[in-house]
Amino acid sequence: MKSHKRERRGYAKSRGETYVFRLFVVGNESNSTQARGNLARLCEEHLKGRYQIETVDVLKDAATAHKNNVLVTPTLILIKPFPKVTVFGNLSDTRQVLAALRLIGDER
Amino acid sequence: MSNRKPPVPRSKIRLKEAEALVRALKTHQVDGIVGERHIMICRMKEVEEKLENSRDQVRALAARLQFLRESERTAIARELHDEFGQTLTSLQLGLAWIALKVAPQQQAVQAKTRLLSALVTSMIQSVKRIAVELRPGALDELGLVKTLQSEAHEFEGHTGIRCRVKTNLGKSTFNRVGSVSIFRIAQAALTNVSQHAQASRATIVLVKRNNNLLLTVHDNGKGITEKLAHSHNSLGIIGMRERALALDGTLTLRGSKGKGTTLRVQIPLSRIL
Repeated sequence: MKSHKRERRGYAKSRGETYVFRLFVVGNESNSTQARGNLARLCEEHLKGRYQIETVDVLKDAATAHKNNVLVTPTLILIKPFPKVTVFGNLSDTRQVLAALRLIGDER
Repeated sequence: MSNRKPPVPRSKIRLKEAEALVRALKTHQVDGIVGERHIMICRMKEVEEKLENSRDQVRALAARLQFLRESERTAIARELHDEFGQTLTSLQLGLAWIALKVAPQQQAVQAKTRLLSALVTSMIQSVKRIAVELRPGALDELGLVKTLQSEAHEFEGHTGIRCRVKTNLGKSTFNRVGSVSIFRIAQAALTNVSQHAQASRATIVLVKRNNNLLLTVHDNGKGITEKLAHSHNSLGIIGMRERALALDGTLTLRGSKGKGTTLRVQIPLSRIL
């Protein structure tokens, strides 16, 4: 029963919806660069052809960061599909990121 | 009319997000903090890595310097013993020969020869003592435990402070660098006891425990203060700590007023066997 729920939680993936991400970074700092790379890889592996990434450099566009309540960089916000999800850090923990984005079941 | 400023609007953040944020901060995955007016770029990880690299370099340098110092001491001790010692022995033999050749009635010359001979004997002893202090030959010949026991005996003789060595090592042997480092730490600790502790008793404990070698030097003196134990000016303590760190070990120093000071060194056996 529990595993069935988990499958249902990941329904967005199976329905083929487009994922819209907004990634907030700061210049070419180490973690920001890693986050860009990790997100691109994750999307290619799990959402090929069904994703959009909008990258916001807070040094150039602080207003968007404020509007989205971004406190630190890198911050990844899953805009669509709803509900909105926020992930912090360089996205190097693939399992945790996929679980947060509901692309796999949260096994914790 | 109130002059009070309107409250600054705060970002709403859920508990789960806050936990994730703290996790990201703790694991150094954050490189920018977005403030209301400024963006702060933080490179904590890089700074910490640089600092750690710098510390490693300083430790490596300290270890290298200690190694060079020991090598130099060994060389000087050998030169003293071989060159100076031999010459003094020849001199003593020469004086003994003269004493035999001098007629019994030349009492003044005989007395002078005896005096010079005694002086040379004293010089030979001094040279031996200096050579041993520079490089305790006993470390190579007798091993660490016996050398420490000998050092404790010497220490007691010089200072009047009773000094005992307790150990469970038996006939264990350690590598050269390890033996020298442990011996020098114990020697420096005893020097501190004689110079600063105002103690009447000191104990050296050297034991194997859980794959570590533990050296403890305890005295019953006035007890080192916390400030002094961590002072940048306590060069003797810094030197001891560097010797321990060079062997991946640790050194702690605790003092208790009126109960004395305990120095504890822990070194992984794998580094000294």
